[in-house]
Amino acid sequence: MVTRREILKVAGGAMVLVATKSAYAADATGVTDDKIKIGILGDLTGHAAHWGSGNLAGGTLAFEEINAAGGINGRKLEWISVDSESSAPKGIAGFKRLVDQEKVFAIFGPTSSAVGVPLLKTMASSGVPIFVPTFSSPLITNPPVKNIFRSGTLNDADQGRIIADYVASISKKRSIALMRQSDEYGKNGATNVGNRLKEIGNVKISEEQFNASDTDFTSQLLRIRESDADVMVVYGYPAPSAIVMRQAKQLGLPVQIVGSTATASRTYAATVGKEAAGTRSMTTTKYLPEGDDAEIVKFRKAFEARFPELARQTRPEATDQLAYHGAKTLIEGLKRAGRDLTREKLISSLEGLKDFETGIASATTFGPDRREGNRSGYVLEIKDDLSRIVLPKAYSAI
Amino acid sequence: MLSGAIAGSVYALIAVGLVLIHNGTGVVNFGFGDQLMAGVYILVFAQQFLGLSLPPAILVAVIVSGLIGLAIQYLVMTPLRNRPVLIPIVATIAIGAALREGIRAFMGPNPWPVPFLLSTSPYRIAGISIVPSDLAILGTAIVVMLCLYAFFEFTKYGQAILAACANPTGALIVGIPAGATTTSIWVLSSMLAAIAGIVIAPLTSLTPDIGLIAIKGFAAAVLGGFASLPGAVVGGILLGIIEALSGYYVSSAMKDIVSYAVLVAVIILLPSGLFNRATARKV
Repeated sequence: MVTRREILKVAGGAMVLVATKSAYAADATGVTDDKIKIGILGDLTGHAAHWGSGNLAGGTLAFEEINAAGGINGRKLEWISVDSESSAPKGIAGFKRLVDQEKVFAIFGPTSSAVGVPLLKTMASSGVPIFVPTFSSPLITNPPVKNIFRSGTLNDADQGRIIADYVASISKKRSIALMRQSDEYGKNGATNVGNRLKEIGNVKISEEQFNASDTDFTSQLLRIRESDADVMVVYGYPAPSAIVMRQAKQLGLPVQIVGSTATASRTYAATVGKEAAGTRSMTTTKYLPEGDDAEIVKFRKAFEARFPELARQTRPEATDQLAYHGAKTLIEGLKRAGRDLTREKLISSLEGLKDFETGIASATTFGPDRREGNRSGYVLEIKDDLSRIVLPKAYSAI
Repeated sequence: MLSGAIAGSVYALIAVGLVLIHNGTGVVNFGFGDQLMAGVYILVFAQQFLGLSLPPAILVAVIVSGLIGLAIQYLVMTPLRNRPVLIPIVATIAIGAALREGIRAFMGPNPWPVPFLLSTSPYRIAGISIVPSDLAILGTAIVVMLCLYAFFEFTKYGQAILAACANPTGALIVGIPAGATTTSIWVLSSMLAAIAGIVIAPLTSLTPDIGLIAIKGFAAAVLGGFASLPGAVVGGILLGIIEALSGYYVSSAMKDIVSYAVLVAVIILLPSGLFNRATARKV
């Protein structure tokens, strides 16, 4: 049964799409005979620089490659990068600079929910096509905004749903512990997991919280040990999640540990240590950056050659991979928009992408009322030698 | 209790470093957390890029951190020595930000694994799980603090520093050079920052933002009176234990709130901290 709330939500989304339509017609700001100007907005400094630096590196690599291959419909890409400094006010100022002063055609970014969500209204009213490759707040795409697209990553709502489906399928005792960070990230994630588990039914849920800066989780883990949970979902940032997983193993908790996508980074297992063996994490794609799939190997070699200073930091990482995938998807949209390029045409061409594959991350599908490119995830497992494999089954949030 | 004491011992190391600088120079070093972070990155750099094994890498990290302290004293604090105290305090914030963002640019924003000092495999003794790597944190903190105690109590140099901290003018009159004393304090405190970082970073993983843990060190220092070295040690251990107990008996999400509520209560009821005597001033 369709609820009143759902009807209002869809209507709200449609209103956003209609209300902003007039802003794009025949708008070719940032496009000249031989160039298309793109703005790259991301956190290059501050606590969220992990995502912003990946956004810049992945975007730069894809843009350089397409330029080397002759450009897009007779035009080369030109881009300008602005640092949002992991701060919402800086992000808004950076966005306005790209739009009002630099007169870019489209924007690649922003890169963190902390910047992207406060920017939402400004981005929506600007009319500038925005392509987000990394962050995971569902507010950016639900309700859909005409000029904002996201590819690759898995939003928190979908991730919660997928984690719940997965852990419910492996819990023999039908008893699951949710160990979550006490902030909005952990709260939203665990709420989504918990709600879906309640939908599934016949599952006992126990919940514990921790602060992102904590270093000792003994009391929470002891309480989980006293429950009869056989699966523990850890929903938090990488650093506290790593300690939780290590201490859970040290305390001998008889649980299968499943982390959020925050724990799916390439260096995570080394951070946890040998206790990481056997733990699992949600991941947005079946391709690992260290994997041997043909496109991934090509990407990794190109990345390492172009950014040797990042390669020595054990990169490319998932963020570099998602950004490169996003940039290639945006490039595909620009190609399909044709020589007579306008913002309206780019939006229409992106809307036409269906199961678009880059071989780097999960396929992208957009539509007239769909701005979330990827709605599926996989489960990653850390082996005894701390190498990683992706389990074959894909989980869909649809 | 044990896990609280382990966390508390790190807070104590940080608090001692902060109190030392404050006592000796009047400056509250808001860049201390970033110096802690820099010390661990030096260790990682020495291991990953210079190929050193852990013990010499630790030595390199502690020595280079001391040199950073020396540079801060000579390049920043000495030129600012006659300015209002607020200026050098703001300078420590700037130094911290420069270290943090410089390292983020050079070593990247992603976490680096840091080796544990001892094994992470637990031993079970009488039903209690003992993790050697956790004991290494506590043990290192105790050894460092005993060394500091011996240095200040039994060496002339240590006593000179304490004398200069307690009464800079008096120390000058009896021939203790103020410049050398403050330099020693900056070097010693910076080395303490590196040691605190090296013991805690394996547990937390290393990112440019690990220095935020110094906030707990500030709290411990305030609890102990911000002028007393033994007070800083007890303040740190006490804070760690309060955190652990409130996490277990109240709520894990509330443990920071409970800890800081205790801190506020101490400030209100004992403005000079738990271990610092109120001083009367003649006017």
